[in-house]
Formats: sequence, C-alpha cells, structure tokens
Amino acid sequence: MKLEWTEPDQQFLSELRAFLDEHTPVEAANGFDFQGEANGDAIIAPWLQAWQAKLFDNGWMIPGFPPELGGRNCTPSQTMIYLEELSRRRVPRATHFPGYAIVGPSLLEYGNDDQKTLVSAAIRGDTIWCIGMSEPDAGSDLAGLTTRADLDGDTFIVNGQKVWTSYAMVASKCFCYVRTDQQAPKHKGISLLIIDMDSPGIEVRPLTHINGQAEFAEVFFTDVHVPVCNLVGELNGGWAITQGSLAHERAGLWVDGVARLEQTVTSLVELAKANGCHDDVGVRRKIAAMHELASSLRSLGYKGFASYAQGSSAPEHSYMKLASSEAGKAAFELGMEILGPYGAVTDALRGAENGRWVNSFYISFANTIAGGSSEIQRNIIAQRVLGLPRN
Amino acid sequence: MDFSLTSEQDLLATTARNLLAKQCPPALVRSHVTDRSVQAPLWACLRDYAELGRNNCTDLCIFLEELGYVAAPGPFFASVALFAGLLESLDADSALRDATAAGEIVGTVAVAGLNGFWVPSDDLVKSFIVDADIADHIALVHATDSGVVVTVLTNPGERALTPVSTVDQSRRFFEWDTGDEIGGIIPCSPEAWSAFIDRSHVAIAADMVGTARRLFDMTLHYAKEREQFGKPIGSFQAIQHKLADMSLVVERARASVQYASMTVDAGSADRTRACHVAKAAAGRAARSALLEGIQIHGGIGYTEEHDLHLFMRRATASEYLLGPTSWHLDRISDEIFA
Repeated sequence: MKLEWTEPDQQFLSELRAFLDEHTPVEAANGFDFQGEANGDAIIAPWLQAWQAKLFDNGWMIPGFPPELGGRNCTPSQTMIYLEELSRRRVPRATHFPGYAIVGPSLLEYGNDDQKTLVSAAIRGDTIWCIGMSEPDAGSDLAGLTTRADLDGDTFIVNGQKVWTSYAMVASKCFCYVRTDQQAPKHKGISLLIIDMDSPGIEVRPLTHINGQAEFAEVFFTDVHVPVCNLVGELNGGWAITQGSLAHERAGLWVDGVARLEQTVTSLVELAKANGCHDDVGVRRKIAAMHELASSLRSLGYKGFASYAQGSSAPEHSYMKLASSEAGKAAFELGMEILGPYGAVTDALRGAENGRWVNSFYISFANTIAGGSSEIQRNIIAQRVLGLPRN
Repeated sequence: MDFSLTSEQDLLATTARNLLAKQCPPALVRSHVTDRSVQAPLWACLRDYAELGRNNCTDLCIFLEELGYVAAPGPFFASVALFAGLLESLDADSALRDATAAGEIVGTVAVAGLNGFWVPSDDLVKSFIVDADIADHIALVHATDSGVVVTVLTNPGERALTPVSTVDQSRRFFEWDTGDEIGGIIPCSPEAWSAFIDRSHVAIAADMVGTARRLFDMTLHYAKEREQFGKPIGSFQAIQHKLADMSLVVERARASVQYASMTVDAGSADRTRACHVAKAAAGRAARSALLEGIQIHGGIGYTEEHDLHLFMRRATASEYLLGPTSWHLDRISDEIFA
C-alpha cells in the first residue's frame, strides 16, 4: 500500500494537465455542470462536439485505447488519473455517452470487420448514436423486451417501441436490442441490430425531463427494414452484449460520481455560510456526515480499483453506483433544507440560485433509476457478492 | 497510488485470523465477563505481536481489525495501539519503548478528563483509562499553562482506580484521581500530540470495523440458514436489501480505515482529517451492523444466549471511545467550514 503515484504516472498527469490548461474550451473553463445547465437549444452543444473531436485527435478521448481510436495505450492507473483530473476540473469528455462508451467498445468486441469501421466515428463523436434498450414493459427486467425483428429473406422487419432513448432525436444510428426468437427463454431470444434512424417507419417523440429539458425520447418502429448484415454478433446472442461497455473504464466509473458529490459538499458549505447557518451544529454535522460519506466512498473506489488492476472482478462497482447516486440525491435535499422556506423557489431574484438545489434534486433521480436502479444494485450485491439465494 | 495489500500484509491478516479464531472464541469473551484472568493466556499469545505498535500503522490496523472481529479482551489495544503510540510520538525513553514493543511490559494512557473527551485537560481526575487494572505502566497526559506534559508512572493497579462500567465487558475502563502524582517531565508538542491522537483514532476505527464485520458475517450466515415460510429468510428481498446496505457501509468504513492508516504512514497533510473520517465511518458501520444485525436475527438476537450480543456490546462501547461519532463529525466540519 502506498499513496504516491509512480514516476511514469506523474509524467502522464503532467502531460494531461498541460493539454487541458491549453485547450479546455472556454465554456468548460470554470467547470461544466451537466445536471444544472441547459445547453442552449441544442441537444448536443456544438462546442462539446468540437471538444470531443479534439480530445480524440490528441489521444485524450479514451486514453487506454490505441491512437487510431482516440487514445494513447495508457495503463489502468493512468486511466484513473485521467478520469480524476477531468472530474476535478469538471471538464466533460462528451455529453452523449452512447457512442464512445457503449457502441464503440461493443463493436470492437462483437462486431464484424465492416461494423468495426464505425468505431472511430462513434468515439470521435462524428456519428451520434442512441441505444434502444428499455421499453414500456421492459425496464429493470430488460430481458423482457418485446420489440420484434422477423427475418424475411436478407432483411429484418422490426416492429415495437423503445423508451428513455437518450439522443434519439439527433442520432443517425440506433444500437437496438430486439427479440428474434419468440419461443426461446427470454435471455436467449434477443439480438442486436444497427438501425439507421432515417429508415422509413421510425417515429421519434421527445420526452420532457422532470426539469423541463428534453434529452430522451420514445422511439416507435413500424415495419422498419434492416439488412441482415446489420446484425451484431450471433443471432439470438444479444444478451451477452448488453453486459458490455467500456470494461477497462468500468473500474473508474465511480470517479465522476464521487467527485461530483465532493463538489456538492463544498457547495453546501458555501450555501450554509451564505444563509447564516454556518454555526448551526445540526447543519454542520449533516454536511460533515456527507463529507465522511464522499471521502469513504473515494477510498472504497480506490480499493476496488486496486483489485481490478490485479485482475480480480471487484464488487465495488455496484456499491459505488448505489452509494454515490443515493448520496447525491440526499446532498441536494440537504441543500433545500438549508434554504428553509426558499427550498422550492426557482426565482433568481430571491436568492435560491435559480432553483439549483431543487432542480438538481429532481434530476438526481436519473442516477438512482438509470443504468440499473438502486434496488437492482442491491439485488446484485445480495445475490452476486453476498451469495444470497435468488428470490 | 496502490491500495492493494502486500503479500506480507495478506499473511499478517491470515495469521491473525487463524490465531484468534483458535485463541479467542466467543466462549472466552463470555467467560471474561465474570473472570478477568482468562485474558492472560490470550495476551501471552498476542504479546509476540506487540512490535506492531512501533511499525507501520497499516499493519497495526490489519491486526486490530482481527482483534475487533473476535472482540478480544486484554491489553493489546491499550498497550500496543495507545501506550506504544504515545511513547513513539514522544520519542520517549528507548528502554521503555523497547520493552513495550517486546511485549514485556503493558501500558495504557490516561487522557480524557471527567467530560470523557480525549482532549488534554487540566482535570485532576482522568477517565476512560483503558484496561488500567492489568497495566503495569500508565502514561498520564495533562494540560498545563506551559503546554501538554506526559508522566509515565508504574503500577497503576496499586492506585485507587474506580471502574467505569459500560455495556461492554471485553474492554474495561477506569477513572483515576491523580492527586499529586502529576509530575510532568516529558513535554508533548502539538505535533507529537496530533501524531498520537490521529493514530489512536484510526486504531479504534480498525478495531470497530472488525467488530462490525463480525456482526455482519454472523447476520449473513444466519439469513442463509434460518428458514421461514419454507425458505431461507435471506431469499426475501426485504432482508437482501438490508444486508446489501450493511455490507456497503462496512466496506466503505473498512476502506476509509485503510486510507487513513496509509496517510499516517506517509505523514500526509491529509492525516488528521482522514483519521476523523475513518472513526466516523467506522461508527456508522458499527451502528448499522448492530441495528440491522439484531433485527434480522429476530428474537434470538435479543437474548444473551446467542453470541451476537458480545459483539454488539463491543461495537457500542467502541463507538463512544476516543470521541463519539458526533465529535468526529464536529472536527470534520471545523475543517471544511474553516
């Protein structure tokens, strides 16, 4: 056990810092708040798209990947250093994660040679992707999806509906999970298709978030024709791919959640001072408890990363997802509590920071629901980590 | 940065676990409630590890976690974590330090005044002196006008010690009216005090994480064995989610202890804060493991027949020793509001 980074790791960090000092876009210079600020009218801000391309071209988009895929073949420790530095500065890589975080890595693992040619544009952000997973009746029970694809000659005919599909209204391609065998057990009848979003028969209806922004949508498929060469991996072998994403970054996914929690704790201290309750023992203890939580989660994340770097599959990912999302929600609630009677006020003139705390509280439900809800995380911990029987 | 244990540390943990499983079964903890002498043969085994008191804090914490896991009675914590820690911070008399590290003598420290907080005071009565009845040396920490001073006295057992009873009998506490014995010959600088107390905070946190882990393990085992409605209660989602939450709070406390012990060894600027965080996190873990542990055990967890209460008592007393959780939160808030 030791606290210091090695010499090559420090060198890596210096290079990263030099790059960020010189190139960070002005829009992110003071930190970019994903959860609080709208990106103007654009679903994906043009400056962010340019920034993603610049990161890619300089080998800083996915540093663990080779240069042709936006990286520099760095080590796992260096990937964590990278994620930490970006989080600390609150500099985003991209707001639209599906392409670089899911589609690119999944195609590298499961795609054929033709499909692999799509990878660099997905990671560079030149192609906007959406992911067709959840359906009205298939949320936490994802394998229960019913959007069907029937093979007719060399074409799949797709019918059904997806929901909570982020960026569907601007995406040119959809990474879409469909049922291709109605008789097989539910996990064994799912396939993955690449669907062009301009295909006839696709209708996209934006869904407005709880905070008034529209980032995700419902997508309806009516007799959509998809060539069979757009099948990714084996027919009926799609379930295995749902588990795939940036495996080598998964061990560091917690970094951003914990960094945001720490930043929220700092904001809570400022809020308490500004509201004259910095001497209130109750408020101070609640904020200190939030600090303790963030700080111990950071240690747990490092510990999980150490097991990952040694090659064991660490259970910490579910712990970190569950704890940081729930803590984030509780921290925003605490901000509202400190505001007292102004907790629900969204009026800039009356000192409640444009409703920053209540809006962040609302948006924070996304983190305890999306990507496996808190309840699903607890099931995973209970059954896969603690060895309790399935219920 | 590397959070993985070295192979020597893995070996230390395994050795401690095997040794203590054999030498400190629940039956010993139970008989210690009425027979103080049963701690002596245990100490005879553990004294070989007294050297840990002057070495890496990370190694010490690995060992203490296992002691907490079995709720070990005896002077190891008082002598190796507290007394040796203070002597090393003060760079005191080397013969005394050597004898302590060799396990030849047993010491403890007298810090808290009557208010019970472990902050040097000019109170003549010192309280919460851990295992003073079985110590042969006592380091008395006293605040004077010219700063904090330490006096090392021998044979505290011959003095008028008043027991301070808690729910936990695995560790014993005493109050002592020092009268005119405060001679104050060793000055204790603020840096030396801080080094000692930070290390003590993470040491008790390690012990407490061990106890919380024990409560959790017993509860998990019980949930897998106990059947109701024709199946193990651990197959019910209500129980599974409680256990998931318990394991999370225990694991993050364990990680925060590990980090804090690393800051002690590195002499990091983050040390004091990290040690407060570790004690507060361990306090939460102990409380959560106790609350849900008893609830999941149901009626049997509420009895003295079952061993659960031995660990529940240790967890409760540890939570209040060396500053309750709220006191550590107050120190954290002092820092983040500064």
